[in-house]
Amino acid sequence: MALRDDFPILKRKVNGFPLIYLDNAATTQKPQVVLDAMNNYYTSSNANVHRAVHTLAGEATEGYEACRTKLKDWFNAERAVLTSGTTEAINLVAHSWGRANLIEGDVIVLTEMEHHSDIVPWQMLAEERNIELRYVPVMEDFTLDMDAYAASLDGAKLVCVVHTSNVLGVRNPMEEIIELAHSRGALVLVDAAQGVPHERINFQEFGADFMAFSAHKMCGPTGIGALLIDAEVFETMQPFMGGGDMIETVTITGSTYQTNEHKFEAGTPKIAEAVGWSAALDWMSTLDLEKEHQRLVKIGSWVAEQLRSMGMAVYGRHEKNDSAVVSFNHPSIHSEDLAHLFDSRGFAVRTGHHCAQPLLNRLGITSTVRASFYLYNTMDEAELFIKQLKEITERFG
Amino acid sequence: MTYPEVLAELIEEFQGVDDKMERLEMVFDMADEVVPYPAERWDDESRVLGCQSEAHVHVELEDGKVLLFAGADAKLVQGLMGILSIAVNGYAPAQVLLLSPDFAEEMGILNTLSPSRSNGFRNMFDKVMKDIRGLQ
Repeated sequence: MALRDDFPILKRKVNGFPLIYLDNAATTQKPQVVLDAMNNYYTSSNANVHRAVHTLAGEATEGYEACRTKLKDWFNAERAVLTSGTTEAINLVAHSWGRANLIEGDVIVLTEMEHHSDIVPWQMLAEERNIELRYVPVMEDFTLDMDAYAASLDGAKLVCVVHTSNVLGVRNPMEEIIELAHSRGALVLVDAAQGVPHERINFQEFGADFMAFSAHKMCGPTGIGALLIDAEVFETMQPFMGGGDMIETVTITGSTYQTNEHKFEAGTPKIAEAVGWSAALDWMSTLDLEKEHQRLVKIGSWVAEQLRSMGMAVYGRHEKNDSAVVSFNHPSIHSEDLAHLFDSRGFAVRTGHHCAQPLLNRLGITSTVRASFYLYNTMDEAELFIKQLKEITERFG
Repeated sequence: MTYPEVLAELIEEFQGVDDKMERLEMVFDMADEVVPYPAERWDDESRVLGCQSEAHVHVELEDGKVLLFAGADAKLVQGLMGILSIAVNGYAPAQVLLLSPDFAEEMGILNTLSPSRSNGFRNMFDKVMKDIRGLQ
């Protein structure tokens, strides 16, 4: 049985044509086991977590906490806070660690390759605290200027870097980036939203202080993600969002807070989503992720080569550790038109600035078409994609 | 929604075509209906926000009737501007302001017209209507 048979959505048609889903950098599809797990949870175990003593609450708590345990195992992390996704995870660091540790004149280093999620929270904090933001430039070969990075670290308290670009697919030299930042006394936050779907990262060996990512980009549900935090840094952090579940005691004169991850999980958490994510992690653990990744990189690299030979402008290098994300522009058909034309034949591709406007500004463009491949995509689909583009070019180019 | 006759005929024509690519091609052809708004006049005032392409509109009244000038990078947007031009040009502002943006959805071109940042057409329609109201 082929891996793609686990994904019921891949059997549907779009505009009368079989769906070819190539928008995986935006979100991935969910295997049946994830759908079943969430359905079973609501069908038989739905309750609120942590406080109640009844059986359903116990099952719900077990399901929710099992997700945390699996994440800690998967990433070899000591602290895993469940958030609504990468964006909330980064905002959590900005509000909790950032507000407690950054003052006027401090420096945060970002890169031009960041997703808006790893820019805007820092801009907001910078405005509030009069903090300096320094951006590491992206060079013509689509990589970060590491000399500029080293130079930017003077006085830096925090470095925020995307692990793998959602536009270029370029995997940054994170190990070098982290080591250099630490040697200069700065903490490191990694936006790993596009990295974790392709690479099983050992968080403690990796050495980052914070790592943010989302479930839905690795076959899990939307609405849930995680922030891994270095154990020592975790102990120094205070909650920023108050409410139920994060407290130890509450009196009318004041409150005390939980000391574990719950201190950052105020309110009823994403229980069904956590159950679904657990199922996704179980499903993914049956795969040889490294082997699958190499297969996908080959597909991405082949597609990029074909596109270049057809006269397309391709953004990215598609090397061994990069993700299978291919961004490009047609010489005569606007990216938005092209995406609509692909959709009319059942292909789901993304178009626009991909929430990375500073990067597109650096590249001198305002949008691209992006085809991104994941576990269930095949070489046959890649060939059909290129064939379709040739037909579109012939008719509309 | 009742549309002006010429627009109602267009909607019917679009609805008669099953193949979405063919419908898109028909929209692309409607780009010829646009009274061009030259790129050198594009500014923040004329910009349609939320479009993935650069899209600009400018409205004037000629003998009390609406005249829409428009320009965009994407052919689909230009085509939609052409359709909108057919719907508004030569009509009195009061008549134009009764128009609903749903025709693009009814033509089977756009999947949804929810007012979000990703819906450039809806933003364009709203801007044209706002500019017309400003001219009254």
